[in-house]
Amino acid sequence: MSTTKSNIIGTDRDYGSLVKEDRIHSSIFTDESVFEDEMERIFHKTWLFALHESEVPKKGDFKLLKLGRFPVIAVRDENEEVQLMINRCRHRGAQVCEATQGNAKSFQCWYHGWTYNTKGDLVGVTGEEAYDKTFDAKEHGLTKVARVGNYRGFIFASHSKEGQSLDDYLGPAKKFIDILIDASPTSEIEVKPGVVSKTMYRGNWKQIGMDGYHPHYVHVSVFKIFSKRESTTGSAVGAIHLEDPFADSSPSLTRGFPNGHAALDFRFQRLPHAKDNTAELQQSEDGRKYVEDMIARYGKEHAEELIAWHGDPHLGVFPNLQLIHDHIRVVIPISSSETQVLMYPVFLKGVGQEINNKRLRSHEAFYGPASNGSPDDAEIFERVQRGLEGDANPWILLGRGINRETSDSDGTVSALISDEITQRAQMQEWKRLMTED
Amino acid sequence: MAKQIVNAAPEAINKGVVSVEQQLRVERFLNYEAALMDEHEYDRWMALWTGDDITYWVPCNSDDQDPNTGVAIIYDDRSRLLERMMRLKDKAAHAYRPRARLIRNVSGVVPLSVTGEELEVASSFSLGEIRTGTENIWFGKCHYVLVDTAEGFRIRWKKVMLLNNDEAIPNLTFLV
Repeated sequence: MSTTKSNIIGTDRDYGSLVKEDRIHSSIFTDESVFEDEMERIFHKTWLFALHESEVPKKGDFKLLKLGRFPVIAVRDENEEVQLMINRCRHRGAQVCEATQGNAKSFQCWYHGWTYNTKGDLVGVTGEEAYDKTFDAKEHGLTKVARVGNYRGFIFASHSKEGQSLDDYLGPAKKFIDILIDASPTSEIEVKPGVVSKTMYRGNWKQIGMDGYHPHYVHVSVFKIFSKRESTTGSAVGAIHLEDPFADSSPSLTRGFPNGHAALDFRFQRLPHAKDNTAELQQSEDGRKYVEDMIARYGKEHAEELIAWHGDPHLGVFPNLQLIHDHIRVVIPISSSETQVLMYPVFLKGVGQEINNKRLRSHEAFYGPASNGSPDDAEIFERVQRGLEGDANPWILLGRGINRETSDSDGTVSALISDEITQRAQMQEWKRLMTED
Repeated sequence: MAKQIVNAAPEAINKGVVSVEQQLRVERFLNYEAALMDEHEYDRWMALWTGDDITYWVPCNSDDQDPNTGVAIIYDDRSRLLERMMRLKDKAAHAYRPRARLIRNVSGVVPLSVTGEELEVASSFSLGEIRTGTENIWFGKCHYVLVDTAEGFRIRWKKVMLLNNDEAIPNLTFLV
């Protein structure tokens, strides 16, 4: 039996024994009590991605979110700070905000009329005279999320008062986030709360992630379509798949970072195509201006790199954020067998309309419930969830490439594109959090 | 959701913009289109589309989402629609195998306006889907521009407003 702490749901499951170096026990995908523990030990302890600051640009702009189990209001307050507050009246518990997004000067609870300002302060109690001096409104503001961090506009939240700083948590993953932001010649990206592909699959949240092994099989029908097209430009700002990035013979790598982050590292596979990407961009007015502005901002060499990488870090930030192609992806676990996936197309600032249009259409083609790409992933996850019921042999194999890992000087571990270093990195962090006191 | 009908010109509701016989022709046509979609008859459905400049549009997040500034669930011109047919027929498109069993009901067919051979029509549907032991229910309103030809109606423009277009939805593995 394990000892239990008051804020951790006790189970007598030994999570350390469920995650071995090269295999994991499938109950961690199917068991609902494991899911409850994940909520406490992962989603209510570590850093979660909340939103991008561009979603609430002006004072009073707000958006509703779910972080772990909590309904949260994200709002830009009167001091231009982004507040994350739990959407629950401190009186008798009703949600004070029902609109999913908008602009407000205050939040009023319609149960008994109590009012909170955008900083979360309780500024109006109806029938105040019924409360005596012992009632201090200052103690009853909307509960703030324990910690909030911001990395270049990406706002993260933690329900735990203590723990690693966001900067330490992200570690070497930060420079991959930079690949997305710096695809804009003003280093600014924009996400709109009302512009998002919303999907769900009947499978576990830990299934979706960085995998360089599956595309030839899961997405075989898309390769057929691409081969019929005249131009296979993957995205507006210039990556062209002139060779197969998913072949082990390519320079593509899988990469595992500390704290469970992981990436499909296409940087070296894409760099040789930098000149072709730039040439393709030069064929349009918007493209020419883009190249010019990128060089002015980042210098020729780095601009060339950024154009080659076309704003696609292909990064997973454990546990709920992925930056893939042209979108920001938020993973919302609903139950052990149900997951929502929200994909926010990212608009680049400081570029011509044509470039963002192409990004939009390119996103639409592969991502979304009726697109060419992500439905096949969702289908496979559902097939896995059905198959996992048969757990006579419960071990899921994650040992691909374990004998050809390379440790880099910055603490990351890399392997070939089809190797399972990404899954191993994620599961080591899962194990760390699930067994931590 | 029923905006097109709410905003319809008074004569579209009162006297109607087509004859009774034409109304029935339109309804039969839309029921035929629905049957082709239910039966996964993709080539015959594609043959209902006319001309090079066609649009098949399923907005995302709101019925009025501008495809120039927002993402759509489907926003196909003819070449994208043909690629969609390729995938729907491809045995290796895993999301579409096994195929869903479908029954949809088409109703609320209201012709809104007539311009020469073109007919603007609003309609709605409810759809039951069973696939891999799971039942999904879908609802939508449709807005069409049909072209009346000697061979029957053809589709030039179709917009489908799903009731759940701002919710997290499962794979849409068939035509709506």
